[in-house]
Amino acid sequence: MNGFTPGTHLLLVIASPLVGALVAWVIGAHGRHAVRQSALVTAVITLLLTAWLIVRYLQSPEAAAGEPYGSITVPWLVGGIFDVRLSLGIDGLSLWLFGLSSLLSLSAILVSWEAIRDRPVGFYMLLLVLEAAMLGVFAARDVILFYVFFEFTLVPLFFLIGIWGHEERRKAALKFFLYTLAGSVLAFLGLLTIVLWHASHAGSVTFDIDTLTAGIAAHPLPMNAAGGWLQMVVFCALFAGFAIKVPIVPFHTWLPLAHVEAPTGGSVDLAGVLLKIGIYGFLRFSLPMLPDASAAAAPWLFGLGVVGILYGALVALVQTDLKRLIAYSSVSHMGYCVMGLFALESVAVEGATLQLINHGLSSAGLFALVGMIYERFHTRSIANLGGIASKAPWLTVFFMLFTFSSIGLPGLNGFVGEFMILAGAFQRAWTGVAPSFQSIYLLLSVSAVVGVVLGAWYMLWAVERVFFGPSREPPGSHAGSTHSATVMCDLRWYETAALVPLAVFVFWIGLVPATFLGPSAAAVRNQTSAASEAFAIRMEEFPIHSPLDQRAPVTDRFTIRNFPATGQPRPLAVTPTLSVPFQTDP
Amino acid sequence: MTQTTSLETFFLLAPEITLVGAALVAFLGGAFAGLRSGWGVSLVGIVIAMALVGGQSSDGATIASGGIMIDGFSTFIRWLVLASGALLALVQSGDLFRSAVSRLSGLQQRFSQGSTCEEAGTFLILLAGLSLVGVASDLVLLFVGLELVSIPTYILLSLKRTDAHGQEACLKYFFLSLIASSLFLYAAVCLYGIGGSTNLVVIGDRLRSSDESIGGIVTVLLPVTLAMAMAGVAFRLAAVPMHFYAPDVYEGTSPGNAALLSTLPKVAGIVVLVRLVSLGIPATLGAVGSGGIWYLTLFWQLTAVLAAVTMTVGNVLALMQTNLRRLLACSSIAHAGYLLVGVAVAAAAASGEADRSLPVIATGSLGLGGLGATLFYLATYLVATIGIFAALTYLGHRWPEWTSASGPRPPREEIATIDDLNGLSSTNPVAAFSIALFLLSLAGIPPLPGFWGKLSLAISALEIDFNSAIAYGNRRAACVALAVILVVNAAIAAAYYLQIIAAIYFRSTKRGVQADGGLSAGVAMLLCLALALMVTLQPRGLFISASRAGSDATVDAQLLPDGQQARIHDSNTSTP
Repeated sequence: MNGFTPGTHLLLVIASPLVGALVAWVIGAHGRHAVRQSALVTAVITLLLTAWLIVRYLQSPEAAAGEPYGSITVPWLVGGIFDVRLSLGIDGLSLWLFGLSSLLSLSAILVSWEAIRDRPVGFYMLLLVLEAAMLGVFAARDVILFYVFFEFTLVPLFFLIGIWGHEERRKAALKFFLYTLAGSVLAFLGLLTIVLWHASHAGSVTFDIDTLTAGIAAHPLPMNAAGGWLQMVVFCALFAGFAIKVPIVPFHTWLPLAHVEAPTGGSVDLAGVLLKIGIYGFLRFSLPMLPDASAAAAPWLFGLGVVGILYGALVALVQTDLKRLIAYSSVSHMGYCVMGLFALESVAVEGATLQLINHGLSSAGLFALVGMIYERFHTRSIANLGGIASKAPWLTVFFMLFTFSSIGLPGLNGFVGEFMILAGAFQRAWTGVAPSFQSIYLLLSVSAVVGVVLGAWYMLWAVERVFFGPSREPPGSHAGSTHSATVMCDLRWYETAALVPLAVFVFWIGLVPATFLGPSAAAVRNQTSAASEAFAIRMEEFPIHSPLDQRAPVTDRFTIRNFPATGQPRPLAVTPTLSVPFQTDP
Repeated sequence: MTQTTSLETFFLLAPEITLVGAALVAFLGGAFAGLRSGWGVSLVGIVIAMALVGGQSSDGATIASGGIMIDGFSTFIRWLVLASGALLALVQSGDLFRSAVSRLSGLQQRFSQGSTCEEAGTFLILLAGLSLVGVASDLVLLFVGLELVSIPTYILLSLKRTDAHGQEACLKYFFLSLIASSLFLYAAVCLYGIGGSTNLVVIGDRLRSSDESIGGIVTVLLPVTLAMAMAGVAFRLAAVPMHFYAPDVYEGTSPGNAALLSTLPKVAGIVVLVRLVSLGIPATLGAVGSGGIWYLTLFWQLTAVLAAVTMTVGNVLALMQTNLRRLLACSSIAHAGYLLVGVAVAAAAASGEADRSLPVIATGSLGLGGLGATLFYLATYLVATIGIFAALTYLGHRWPEWTSASGPRPPREEIATIDDLNGLSSTNPVAAFSIALFLLSLAGIPPLPGFWGKLSLAISALEIDFNSAIAYGNRRAACVALAVILVVNAAIAAAYYLQIIAAIYFRSTKRGVQADGGLSAGVAMLLCLALALMVTLQPRGLFISASRAGSDATVDAQLLPDGQQARIHDSNTSTP
């Protein structure tokens, strides 16, 4: 293993889907079966390599110290004003998202096994290229490289939606691409401004994310009138890019269309991974590099998150199309992540990062299952479906499982994430804000809990209508004809293979969340500590007094610590008043 | 810096002389030796010229007698001209289209049998003219070079197509070009009035000096000069306000000519702009007098406004087009706007106590990242644009739906609208992939060449006055606004580029697109594809040479031959 350094390993993980895409292209002449088999083999190899990398990471000293692991740097555009490097590495923040990308890509290939008959070579090539781009986003340690992968994920998905999508695919593909691009070009200018700011203070240009974070911490961007509110301006620019990607509610209109029109494999990747890039961007750039602006915007975004939860849930409640319902449930669930993130409370932020994974698993599973239902019944309309449970029991079991995961049944993964987010939000509302903010924070947190109830309502109601009750044949399919064979068919091997890994992680995260929380906790806290500190200071500055203010000053109750880089996982209890049971894994 | 004698000047001009010689071979061979195709001759000529350029040293500047200056900038331009010339020659030789009218009216015989020697020769003269523009350091030579670009363009426009659209395009271009040339000539005269010399180096020195005696003239003449010069240049760039001819002319002519029109005049325009802006830029800070500051301030304000308007107008117009060549014309207008951004930024950077705190600036010369960015962008634009038109030329025609099995084959139509490309991905995957890649590059999707171009333009605009005491001074605000307008336009532009890609990949069609244009155009397309992929993977080489060329262009303005230094003092007394 001498030559097989972590860096090489990481590079190999990202390169293997690209190699697989080339292989798929070369053997394209041998037909659909050969292509999909080669794509499957590629995805499996990539997944195994990823799993091995994660295991190596967890055992490495870098994991304990919270440093990037597997760093590899190759100059790309170095010279003149540029110092762009192909710089890769994973850390606690990106670790699970990186693994999720690998896992869901495999599922995406498996759920497309029979569905894709038109131009399979292009389809599988694009899925693999998309996988490489997604892995790259989470592994990039260079601002420009991050942006390159960030934008490049759009291209394969544009083609996947536009060629293999459903009826309105062209409109959906264009809207998805343009909407996301419009935001991300502004984010691009924001990132460049950060780089220039750092360059003007550090004396040398760098695009390296870690160096930038450290440098910006020493010389924060001005957050006052004399400095032109530069930090806020840059925050808004980054917000434009990341908020559309998440999507945070007023910017979500591209999502239902893109999800519904995308082929199942595309939906799985889109819902499972691509939405997470937005939150990841906030965590990677906005919070650590622009802490004051983040703190200033946090109450608003906290509120927007709750609005997203309720809005997504209410809209999902009235959907008649099963896929559209799940798309809106994504809006609602991403609302939890936004809310948890901008609570700027460590439990909530950790919960939000875990919820990214949870939502990736459950929404990918649900989209995959909707795709399977569509393959059997050629409809997604809830009204036309019914009594599937009697025909396809295993499909129903999996759908129930992911539904329960999505609505947060205790014992499954969704519960852990939602509980931590809500607990953190209440913690923030109760002890971490200025008294004048307290009532609104409490109100918002309570509303988020209402969102949980709504979530259970629309999901279970949909399950009840689709899977139980009288068996119904959609008008398009003729019972008794050749169709019935397909209709009656329960899960096939490839469908089971696509769902089982997701289900395993649903249980794993639900039962032993510490496996997943532990490695990322330190990194997540490092990323948010500056913003939380700024928020605490900001809250102190509110002079309005209320009876609640008679207690100790805010900063005493809400302390921010820089956690020592020890080899042991940090004690996970956040504050004396709140200890989360999942975090006490021996 | 070295100086040369007249004889050495001839050696320095060997590439241009080779091009003219090759043109003569083509002309005479076609007339007397029965040469059928002149394009082979032109390719050989271009390759020899490239070898000659490669043989010349570009370290330091060589100022020759006769207003020739060989430096990093002119060498870069020469490479750009010759490389795109070689690609365009391939495209042109594959550009077999004759209008339906001429096919039906018996002219077909004459045209299809006729030789292409005149076209090839004319094209070589055009290239020689453009290359001369690149090396000119004298107003007269600059103007002669520009005319040597314009006049062959008229001929090429009229040779290729003989139907009404073609004639309209040719005339429209001809008259507007005349107006633009005369406006530029006025500007040149005014510059002579200011500088007392036709030599750009002398004029620049004069302009920068804070001599009070010319203050009066400068304040009156400069706005007029700049307005007229900018109008003349705007025509060649197809920038607002001289942009409106582009859609009509592109639509009226053949794809090969459209490729030529959307690339070579833009190179000429950028060269002129760079030469003009470097008149005001000193080698060391603080050496600019009031006249120079006034000039640069006017220059960047004018260019910035033109850039912003051009980008937006071009993209908005392009959104409304259904005809492919009109759309590409509008897109080329928008790209003229992007190119202007870098020039405006460079002028703004030099127009005062520029902020020197950025190490960014310390590595380049004087924070003129803008010029380098413009040249880099120009190169990426050339590759993508020539590539698209090469692909369109290569695809040539489509079969009309009513092709009958019996009887004479009806006249074929060329690819005109976006819908004509429907389903190209299944009929010709290679061309489809190439066009998609070029379009995504023009749209600036990373990591394609266009992205690197837009990245350097954006960063050069953002870095202006980054650390100045006033958070948003005039220049900073304007440059940040330019950067924002640039990226927003990039997003708008993606809309229509994606429409084309959507047509190619997402739609199917009953009528197949035939690849019956010339094979050489296909070769050009593949070469452009290879170049684009090279720049994607390794943008460093092109970027370094472009930024070096950009900084050379400004430094050279300081290099004054001793003899001419003396002449300045003479002219000081003689000018009014």
